[in-house]
Amino acid sequence: MIRLAGRRVAAVVPTAFGVATLVFFLLHAVPGDPVDLMLGESARVADKEALREALGLDRPLTQQYAAFLLGALRGDLGQSIVTGLPVGSLLAARFAATVELALAAIGLALLFSLPLGVAAALRRGSWIDRASLAFALAVVSVPNFWLGPMLVIVFAILLDLLPVSGSGTWAHLLLPAGTLGLAMSGMLTRMTRGSLIEALSQDYVRTARAKGLSYLAVVAKHGIVNALPPVVTVIGLEFGSLLAGTVITETIFAWPGLGRLTIEAINQRDYPVVQGCVLLIGICFVVANTLADLLQLVLEPRMREG
Amino acid sequence: MKTLVALSLLATCWAACKGPPAAPPSQAVTIALESAPNDLDPRFSTDANSSRITGLVFAGLVRSDGLGAVTPDLAASWEREGEKTYVFHLRPQARFHDGSRVLAADVRATYLSVLDPRLGSPKREELAPLEDIEIVDDSTVRFHLRKPFSPFLAAATLGVLPQRLASKPHVTGAALIGAGPFRLSGVSQGESYRLEPFDGYWGGAPRLRTVIFRVVPDAVVRGLELAKGTITLVQNALEPEALPWLRRRAHLETIVSPGTSFHYLGLNLRHPILSNLKVRRAIALAIDRDAIVTHLLSGQAAVATGLLTPGHWAYEPKVATYERDTVRARRLLDEAGYLDPDGEGPKPRFSLTFKTSTVELRRRIAEALQFQLRDVGIDLKIRSLEWATFYSDVRRGNFELFSLAWVGIDDPDIYHSILHSDMEPPYGNNRGGYVNPLVDALTERGRTTGDIEERRRIYSRLQKIAARDLPFIPLWWEKNVIVKDRRLKGFRPRPDGDLIGLKDAFLDPPPTRLAR
Repeated sequence: MIRLAGRRVAAVVPTAFGVATLVFFLLHAVPGDPVDLMLGESARVADKEALREALGLDRPLTQQYAAFLLGALRGDLGQSIVTGLPVGSLLAARFAATVELALAAIGLALLFSLPLGVAAALRRGSWIDRASLAFALAVVSVPNFWLGPMLVIVFAILLDLLPVSGSGTWAHLLLPAGTLGLAMSGMLTRMTRGSLIEALSQDYVRTARAKGLSYLAVVAKHGIVNALPPVVTVIGLEFGSLLAGTVITETIFAWPGLGRLTIEAINQRDYPVVQGCVLLIGICFVVANTLADLLQLVLEPRMREG
Repeated sequence: MKTLVALSLLATCWAACKGPPAAPPSQAVTIALESAPNDLDPRFSTDANSSRITGLVFAGLVRSDGLGAVTPDLAASWEREGEKTYVFHLRPQARFHDGSRVLAADVRATYLSVLDPRLGSPKREELAPLEDIEIVDDSTVRFHLRKPFSPFLAAATLGVLPQRLASKPHVTGAALIGAGPFRLSGVSQGESYRLEPFDGYWGGAPRLRTVIFRVVPDAVVRGLELAKGTITLVQNALEPEALPWLRRRAHLETIVSPGTSFHYLGLNLRHPILSNLKVRRAIALAIDRDAIVTHLLSGQAAVATGLLTPGHWAYEPKVATYERDTVRARRLLDEAGYLDPDGEGPKPRFSLTFKTSTVELRRRIAEALQFQLRDVGIDLKIRSLEWATFYSDVRRGNFELFSLAWVGIDDPDIYHSILHSDMEPPYGNNRGGYVNPLVDALTERGRTTGDIEERRRIYSRLQKIAARDLPFIPLWWEKNVIVKDRRLKGFRPRPDGDLIGLKDAFLDPPPTRLAR
């Protein structure tokens, strides 16, 4: 298992390298000049050239790439060419907000989906099972750009319980986390239900019951624990996606996260910031998936043999 | 799994323990911005949101009135000595936020730092005519220009920094010190910017206790924040269709006033079809501006006759105008040799590509133009591009037709940049490749003569020529639309969107209760 974990961790390096290379060259291939966007309409050609030189944008692309890679290896991702601030500090501030949002979203998703999934599995075919199916279908089908404003209208405007947007307090966190968490909870509810039904149909469950263990104890000790591995995989994948792709939710709720920073930087052709963001997102994705795989190995000893 | 679950639940619990939501201070005015200001150092700020904030924190020698003229700011008065020299007399009572007096040396240091190519300031071009800055005494500074340059006063709006900051390459955050009516008291990069009144302001301390600029990127959410009462003011950053709903909120009021943003249809005059004046006039006659303004812009714009707005000192009202007349448009196209192959049938006379950004409203306007031009037999193919790509194509002349806006037009010298034949990109903004020797001569004379009446005559002629030759087709002037809390009193909007009116504004208690 340790060897496997080592292999997975080692895979982070080539993946990050691939992501960095791809992003660097793709970004420079698309039209749009950051100097034009920064200096505006009336700047002189000489001034543009001077700024291009100061930013190192006049050097051959391969040299710029080498400088970027060397800097990244030293942990120096350069400075934003729009704001002049270090990319590292910009990423750190935004990444913390994104992780906070992602964890809260997963927390809320689990809060909804675990009880609902377990109840649906234990009462197959009942009204609660049908209701959980309807809930899962509804939340999976509803797009974030609609759900977000609806939650705002209900909880912030009509009920006046929560702030509309912003960050800084728990109340600011609830609506964006709810928007992301609800969408995720649909899938997790169905996943929990399916896994638990399968686990409860195993022979060891019948044996445990025959040995006189109470129904609740059997469900808790043998059912739920054995139903967890596939749920963990999904959470791992979702966590990676949440770190990378919550632009819409972050925009709606004015949440200062990584997704918004990436989009703003792309719009301004702020190369160092885009490169830093994508590199970080890529690494997070790989790390989240690796962690999910390792957790699965912990939970499912049979998989360690393969 | 357990770890992740525990972490998630912990995050939720931790968040829950952070305390209740902080209510906005009752005396704070919160203004929503659609995007973060790029740079608050006045030597670098060029985007509208940065300028809104720096306009409150910094003071220049003079201040633009938003309609092409300037008013005294740090300089109580000034005079012109000959054609190439300006002398500014500073207010002895003007102070920086750290309490130090604003001296001629601070002014000189600020301007020289912008002129230093190593700084990379986007404002260097505006100051290019400057040859030398001479300190006469602590309160008097003399600017020597290389050659006569009438629009120079517009460049003298540059925010002045204390000498010790002007010597630094780039100043950020709360370290920025100006001599404006508000001081920057807190910056949360990309999120919010907090301003407090400066008690030592020469014009008297503002009455507002706190002004917070908050970045709220989503237009719907900006409207909802206004409705809830957590945002006090939004300017030109709401969807037109949200306005009727907001008007029904008892605690909000809408102020619509003339604006200076000029929307136009750009044409590539190097294109064989568009180089024909009859075709350009036919396009202008085919466009129903009234319909677009009424139905797509909810009346929040006025049909434009040219670049300068009616309030501008150089505005010329007697120019050629183009009301929708499809019969005349078709006749002009016939005369130009572009006959309709099948009369009223579906085949077009010719096709043109129209480039625009991905903003939903711009796309809808493009579709309206497509529909209207189809009536006269012109097939418009719409290409909606991500902003930086669109802008890059416009800058490189890679377009047939496009639509953009000129924002914050001050001095009419802008005609030199957009119509002079030497000013094609990358040197200037004559993107369509317009060439007219008379216009070249007029724009050159307009920037050198110091005689205001002569300038007025020159720009009057230029406006008439532009309306006749149509190097670009005027569409509309966007109105300034402000939705604000009724408690905010004494705020006067400006045509260019500058928020300096906040220095005279005040909040009239009691705090608003939500009206639904």
